[in-house]
Amino acid sequence: MNLFRSGEHADRWLDGRPPGATLTVGKLGELAVAWWGDRLSPQWTPHTREQNQAVLQQLGLRDNFWQLR
Amino acid sequence: MTPEDIGLRNQTYRLFVELGRAPSAEEVAAARGTTEPEVLDGWRRLHDEHALVLAADGSQLRMANPFSAVPTNYRVHADGRWWYANCAWDAFGICAALHCDGRIETSCPDCGEALSVEVRDHVPDDPSLLFHCLLPAAQWWDDIVFT
Repeated sequence: MNLFRSGEHADRWLDGRPPGATLTVGKLGELAVAWWGDRLSPQWTPHTREQNQAVLQQLGLRDNFWQLR
Repeated sequence: MTPEDIGLRNQTYRLFVELGRAPSAEEVAAARGTTEPEVLDGWRRLHDEHALVLAADGSQLRMANPFSAVPTNYRVHADGRWWYANCAWDAFGICAALHCDGRIETSCPDCGEALSVEVRDHVPDDPSLLFHCLLPAAQWWDDIVFT
């Protein structure tokens, strides 16, 4: 999971491998808050798969690539 | 995950932030008034539950996501300290977990050019950068270090 200067740089780095998914860094910032925001809470409890999937869905990450196991 | 293991996990994370680095099993045991073998047993259960990640030998932390216990290409300055993140997502995650602004320093994996991103209120100052996730979500935990 990397940051690239642009899509052109990511494509060159892939060097023919199948691409994964790309997000703007703005969307990544939103995802980070939703995913990691409670990690240091003294009341932290484990997230269920369904809770994690809901975080992704709420940010519009709904296709097969983002389906957790 | 038992309440005891959740408590161990939360204390491990608290110590990570207090120390600015991964705590040892001995340090966590001292903080919890227990023994190092009991901490290691608990860490193994938490590793199996994906609540943290142990190094290959099982004796120390590799990740307390989003924090990395080892140096990586993602450095984050936040809350007055430098941290290592496991990946780009985790770099933003450190600011999110600490609830503070920060600066992420890394380099483009393609060209090697240094990248520096200021994060203010969880918004990056350079919207031109692109996040790429190679593996689909169902495969992330097959090899979390590679992911």
